[in-house]
Amino acid sequence: MPTIRLENVSKHYGPTKAADRLSLEIMDGEYLCILGPTGAGKTTLLRILSGLTLPDSGKVFFDGADRTRAEPEERGASMLSQTYSLFPALTVSENILFGPAIRGMGEKDKDDTLNSMLDLVRLTERSDAYPKELSGGMMQRTALARALASGCDTLLLDEPLRALDARLRISLRYEIRDLAKSLGLTTIHVTHDQDEALVMADRIAIIRHGTILQVGTPNDVFDHPNSPFVANFVGQCNFFRGKVLSSGSITQVQCADGRSIEAGPSELKAGEEAVVAVKLGNTELTKEAKGYFSGTVERTLFEGKYIHVDVNVKDVGTISAKLPSWRLSKLAIGDQVDVRWNAARANVFPMPEGGLEQELKVE
Amino acid sequence: MTKVNRLAEGRKKTLLDLVSGRRFRTGWKSFIILFFIIFVILPTVWILSYVVTDWSSIQTEVFDKPEIMQVITDAIIASFEIAIIVTVIDIIVGLPMAWIMVRKEFKGKQYLDTLIDMPLAVPTAALGFSCAIFWAVTPDKVNAPDFSLAFITSPFMLIILLHVVFSYPYMVRSLSAILEQIDQTYETAGRTLGASKFTAARTITLPLFRAGLVTGIILCLARSLSETGGTMIALSTMANAGTFETGPTIIGKWKALLSTNPDLAAPLAFVSILLIVISLVLLVVLKLMVMKVRLPAGKVWPKWERTLSRNWVPKLKDGSAIIFLFIFVLIPSFFIFSYVLVSPSAITEWGTFWNALIYSFIIAGIVTAIDIVLGVPMALYIARGHSLKFPQFLDVLVNVPLIVPTAALGYSLGVFWKGVPGIGSLDFVLIIMAHVAFTYPLVVRNVAGAVEEIDPSYEETARTLGAKPLQAFRRVLYPMIKASILAGAIMAFTRSLGETGATLAVVSSANTAPVYIVNLIKADQFYLAAMACIVLIIVSYIFMLALRYVTKRRTD
Repeated sequence: MPTIRLENVSKHYGPTKAADRLSLEIMDGEYLCILGPTGAGKTTLLRILSGLTLPDSGKVFFDGADRTRAEPEERGASMLSQTYSLFPALTVSENILFGPAIRGMGEKDKDDTLNSMLDLVRLTERSDAYPKELSGGMMQRTALARALASGCDTLLLDEPLRALDARLRISLRYEIRDLAKSLGLTTIHVTHDQDEALVMADRIAIIRHGTILQVGTPNDVFDHPNSPFVANFVGQCNFFRGKVLSSGSITQVQCADGRSIEAGPSELKAGEEAVVAVKLGNTELTKEAKGYFSGTVERTLFEGKYIHVDVNVKDVGTISAKLPSWRLSKLAIGDQVDVRWNAARANVFPMPEGGLEQELKVE
Repeated sequence: MTKVNRLAEGRKKTLLDLVSGRRFRTGWKSFIILFFIIFVILPTVWILSYVVTDWSSIQTEVFDKPEIMQVITDAIIASFEIAIIVTVIDIIVGLPMAWIMVRKEFKGKQYLDTLIDMPLAVPTAALGFSCAIFWAVTPDKVNAPDFSLAFITSPFMLIILLHVVFSYPYMVRSLSAILEQIDQTYETAGRTLGASKFTAARTITLPLFRAGLVTGIILCLARSLSETGGTMIALSTMANAGTFETGPTIIGKWKALLSTNPDLAAPLAFVSILLIVISLVLLVVLKLMVMKVRLPAGKVWPKWERTLSRNWVPKLKDGSAIIFLFIFVLIPSFFIFSYVLVSPSAITEWGTFWNALIYSFIIAGIVTAIDIVLGVPMALYIARGHSLKFPQFLDVLVNVPLIVPTAALGYSLGVFWKGVPGIGSLDFVLIIMAHVAFTYPLVVRNVAGAVEEIDPSYEETARTLGAKPLQAFRRVLYPMIKASILAGAIMAFTRSLGETGATLAVVSSANTAPVYIVNLIKADQFYLAAMACIVLIIVSYIFMLALRYVTKRRTD
């Protein structure tokens, strides 16, 4: 299975930069999720990898060999599109055997491939059905089987779960990952759903405006984001602006109204403008102890396992928190609460150029 | 090294590998575009260069000869007057008919649907004779049936009546196609807000019609401006047509005289140029105008319009639409059948007709084959590249031969190839090239339309599954667009089979079936001409049935 490397790849559509000097390495047999908002260049990246789009500049390597201008059919990389693109005139079996037939596989081998694939995706009983007769999940599995049967060693998944209903989407997450892992395929999975990426990926690459912002394990990008955007896109955050008072193993930041708050380690200089990001889930509300801020409960939303609480703090605005549901009975609208967090679990960043609003914009 | 690469390396290069190479594909694409430019577009408008290269002869042969100038202006003005009047009539009577076809449900609707298309099955040469004996006062030698209306004495009127017959289906089809796409909920919303049926239709749905109206108008104008064979026949059948000519008929007439009178070259070029330029200008103006002009949808006359929506008014409107269809379109189309029943049979010999018919078939067959082989790749290029500048430009250019009157196109093409040694003298090749020029857009339009509706991800997925471009087309795209290729092919075939103007304009002595019929009429052999017309109608009708069958399967 190949190691794939993109080097300084650029692709412009008019003024839009779909890929802007983008570099990325995908390990042999790795399951990599590309996570980013709509229009970030996710699909373009996948199309460049598959050979369907030629980059304006930059190179694509498969196992160290320059394959930038290789035809799609020469790359051994199968693409699974959002709509699956099952060929409507062919049955499930014929769809699955599309790749083998093209490559001139013998009848015996074709039969074996078909049977093992049907077995793998549990569609043996629907092998003679046409795509329009299948449910969304079955179409998804047929498309997967077709990609696997083509003899590819790289799987390119373009939002493969988008068109499915919520429950199915969650069960298929594990199924796709297990399948790719057991076959040892190098998989690149594009999604805008952070939960999906966190659950499925070995590593996540966060993309925006055609550049990779951060690559790391799910744990890494969740707990140690390298920018306010990543912090907010992978799990929502509360943001606080201020000036750095001191840094080191704990960074102290002074907000505009004079209150001082704390965040994890940094090497920011004192006096520098900074942003502190605290994940909603790491924000604690308490009535017993003193916190960084105190405010009034403005709204509570019941979300099943969690409750979402908005607290209004004078001069700071709304701070949100996600708390376990059992606390719903102890919090009423109008209650005075203190807001605090474990300093080590808050991240601090230098103030981004162009301001915080610009940085957090998801377009 | 991936598995696939190892696989590929073990094999020898095959033909498939060869044609899948990037270099071959680029070469093939350039060839397709070059073919289109050199064999379709350039010859079509070549005659325009005459203005630059030979202005002096236009000066001496046209402007300095008032009688020639008079003939030309009269013919061109008549052509455009007829085309415009015909189009206006088509809009007025086509709109209610389109409404009936789309919005009404009634028994026998599918029969009405077939009836509307019937005139398309009749080659215009046959239509010309049929209309003339139905409407016009004819000389005794024609032997028109006693029950024909026979009251039209003006050639101008007769040609209008004739052109309405074959342009009417185009208008109804374009309008109903757009009406089908207009969401009826707008109108329903309008009516729940208190508008009467008529007000709602006029102020809400009608303004959404523009696109369909433009298509319909362009098709009707182009068909009327182009038509040669039927017009010639109608004029020679009626009594005292006098010196009445339209643009295309004058081209046909002068082209025949060209060998004895070479001075006619300049006037011929001049007529063709006028027809081409005015049609293209008209097309552009129309496109701009219809998009800019606002229909007066703001004002409402509730009382008035309520009356128009109630009681006998809508019934009268629907009734007249259907009566018009029968009296002005269907009966004139098929009146020719009564002629052969009533007139004494006077068959002399069928041999020449069969030869002409076979000749026409061979030409139509070759033309259709060329259209498919070279038109389908062009359609793919246009449809798959429609976000790029150059394919978009080609997309517009493809329509040009559809707009240019075929007689002018034919003459232009003849002049273009005459200079090329070896081709200029081959009548057969010239006719084929002329027919390719005006049928090629039909195939390209049809196929490009179908491809544009298919998500490119099908072919792309096929490519990532290991299919070479040709395999992806053959196994994935082709099954999905087969029906539209066939539809385009049948349209091209029937158009080629029925064409007179372009044929006469390239080779005045051509022996295709429609030309043969025109010549029979000119030689007063009416009975044989009528029989030949009927054979042509039957043949075309069979093809039209095939077309319906094919396109119906596509929509299923």
